[in-house]
Amino acid sequence: MEKLFQAVYSGILYGSIYGLMAIGLTLIWGSLRMLNMAHGALYVVGGFVAWTALKLWGFPPLLALALGVVAGALIGLLIQVLLINRLIGRPSFFNAAMIATVGAAIMIESATLLIYGPRVKQMPPLISGQFKFTGVVIQYQGLVIIAISAVSLILLSLFLKKTRYGLAIQAVSQQLDAARLMGIPTVLTFMMVMTLSGALAGLGGGLLSSVFYIAPTAGYTPMVKALVVTIFGGLGSIKGTIWAAYIIGLLEAFLQVYLGPSYALPGLFLFMILMLVIRPRGLFGLGEMQRL
Amino acid sequence: MINETALSESGANRVAKRLDPAAGPWAKTNPVALVAIILVLLAMPWVLASFSTGRFILHLVILFFVWGIVTQSWNLILGVGGIFSFAQVAFFVIGGIASGAAAQQLGVSPFISIWLAPIAATIAALIIGLPSLRLRGPYVVLLTLAFAELVRNFATQGPKWIAGGGYGLRDVPKFGFEGIWGTATGRVAYYYVGMIFFMIATYVIWRIFYSPIGMSFRALRDSETYATSRGVDPFRFKLLLFALSAFFTGLAGGFLVHYNGSQAPTILNFSLTINLLAMIVLGGWGTFWGPILGTALLTALPEILRGPLENWRNMGMGASLALIAVFAPEGLFPLLQNWSRKLFGRKNAEQRPPG
Repeated sequence: MEKLFQAVYSGILYGSIYGLMAIGLTLIWGSLRMLNMAHGALYVVGGFVAWTALKLWGFPPLLALALGVVAGALIGLLIQVLLINRLIGRPSFFNAAMIATVGAAIMIESATLLIYGPRVKQMPPLISGQFKFTGVVIQYQGLVIIAISAVSLILLSLFLKKTRYGLAIQAVSQQLDAARLMGIPTVLTFMMVMTLSGALAGLGGGLLSSVFYIAPTAGYTPMVKALVVTIFGGLGSIKGTIWAAYIIGLLEAFLQVYLGPSYALPGLFLFMILMLVIRPRGLFGLGEMQRL
Repeated sequence: MINETALSESGANRVAKRLDPAAGPWAKTNPVALVAIILVLLAMPWVLASFSTGRFILHLVILFFVWGIVTQSWNLILGVGGIFSFAQVAFFVIGGIASGAAAQQLGVSPFISIWLAPIAATIAALIIGLPSLRLRGPYVVLLTLAFAELVRNFATQGPKWIAGGGYGLRDVPKFGFEGIWGTATGRVAYYYVGMIFFMIATYVIWRIFYSPIGMSFRALRDSETYATSRGVDPFRFKLLLFALSAFFTGLAGGFLVHYNGSQAPTILNFSLTINLLAMIVLGGWGTFWGPILGTALLTALPEILRGPLENWRNMGMGASLALIAVFAPEGLFPLLQNWSRKLFGRKNAEQRPPG
C-alpha cells in the first residue's frame, strides 16, 4: 500500500513537470511544424536565472521564479526572431530549423558553462518542510510544483480557447493557409508561440532545479522525456499531451517503485518504441501533413 | 502480359541500366592523380612519425579516419536518405562493445573480433530500422533518440563485462602494433589500418552515392509518393540504407576500441552526436565530399584553437551550426564549389551531384 501511494505521488509529480515541458514542444510542433531542440536549453536558462536571483541577489522565491520564466521567454523569442523567422517558407524547413535550434542549444549551453562553470547547483525549495501521509514522505515543494503546473496548464488552455491570441495560435496550427487568408499575422503568432513555450520551459527549469539540480547540460533528459510525452500524446495535440504527461509520469514512477530506478528509463523507452510501432501517431495525434 | 520491348524502352529501365556519364564520376577519374594521392597518403605517416608533434598529428589523422567513416555513413541516412536518425553513435558503440568484449572476454584476436563489430551494428540497425520505417520526421527522431538512450543505459548499467561498473570497456586488447615495432612505427601501422578501412568505406559509399541505389535513396527523400509510384520499394531501400550505414559505423567503432584499448560510455553523451552532426552540416549535408571536409575541419580546428580559445570552442560550434542553417543551408562544400567555379570559370567542372 505504501508503495502504491509512493508511486502515485511521484507519478503525479513527474507528470506535472513533464506536462509543463511537453506543452511547449507540442505548441511549437502544432503551429510551426518544427522540433525545438533548444527546449532543454531554455529549461536550463530558467533554472540558472532563478538560481542567480534567489541565491546571489537575494530575491524572494516567487520573484526569482518569475525572473526565470521571463528569461526563458526572452531567449525563446530571440531564437525565433534571429533564426527561425529567417527559415520560414524554405523547402527544407524541418531540417534547417532543427539544426538551427541544435546550434542555439549548444550556444546557450556553452554560455551557461562559461558563466557558471561545470559544477552542479541546487536551488533551495520555495517552501521547505514535509509531512508523512500513509507512510509516504510528501514535501511541500512537490505539492507546490504540482499546484503551479496544474494552474499554468489550466491558464494555458483557457488562453488557447478564450482569447483572440490563443484562437490565432489554434487557427495557425489547424490550417496555416486559411489562417493567413483570414488576416492572422502568422509570423507574429509563431513568435508568440515560441515566447510561450520558452516561458513554460523556464518555469519548468525554475521549479525542477529545487528537486533535481541545475547544470549546463541538465536540460537534455527533461527534453528527451518531454519529447517522449509529446509523441506519446500525439504531436500538436494539447489534450493528448496533458494526458500523456500524467500517464508517462505514472508509468515511470511505477517502474521506479516496483522494479527499481535503473529500470525506469529503459522501461519507458521500450514502452515508447512499442507504442510507436502499434500506434505511430500517438494517442491524439494530428496528421503528418507537409507544410510551410 | 506487358510487351517486352516496351518495357526495355521505358525510362525507368534505361536509368537503371545505363547511367549518365556525370552520374558515374569514377569513369573519368585521372589515374595519375589517384596514384599520386595514394603515394602521398602512404608516405605521409613515415614523415609525421619522425617527430613528436607529427605523431600527435598522426593520431588526429587516425581519428579523422574513424569519424570520417561515421560521418560519411551517417550522411547516407541523414543527407541522402533524409531520415533523421540519431542512433548513429549507438551503432558505433555497439560495434565497439561487440568487438571489444569478444576480444577481452573470449580472448579472440582483435584482427578477427573486429569483424563482429559491423555485423553486430548491422543487426542492431535492422532491429531499430524496422519500426522506424513506418514513421517519419519527428517520430523517427524520437525513436532513434530513445534507442540511443537504451544503449547508453545498457553501456553504463548493463552486465559487468560490458559496463565495467559504469566505466565502460577497459583494458581491451589493442592490435598490438606498438608492441612489435615501437610507438612511432606502431602508430604508422594503426594509420595504415585506419586508412584502409576509411578508403574501403569511402569507395563503397562513393559508388553507392552515384549508383541507381543512391538515386533511389534521394528519390525517396524528395518525394516518397512519386518514388514509390516509379517502382522504388521504400521498405527495402530504407532498410538497406540503415544496414549499409550501420555496417561501416560499427567497423569504425570496432577499430577505435582496439586503437584506444577502451571505450567509455560517455561517448554516448549527446555532445559527440552533436559534434558529428556539425561535421556533416558544416561540410555539406547530402553531398558526397561534405562530410569528409567537415570531419577534417572539425578534427583539426579544435586542436588549432586550443589554449585561450578552448572554452569558446563549443560556443563557436553552436554559432556556426546556427549560421550555416540560416545562411548556407547546403553547407561549405557546395559553397566552395561555387566559388571555385566562379574563379576558374570551368563550365565542365564536376557537375553538382544530384543531392
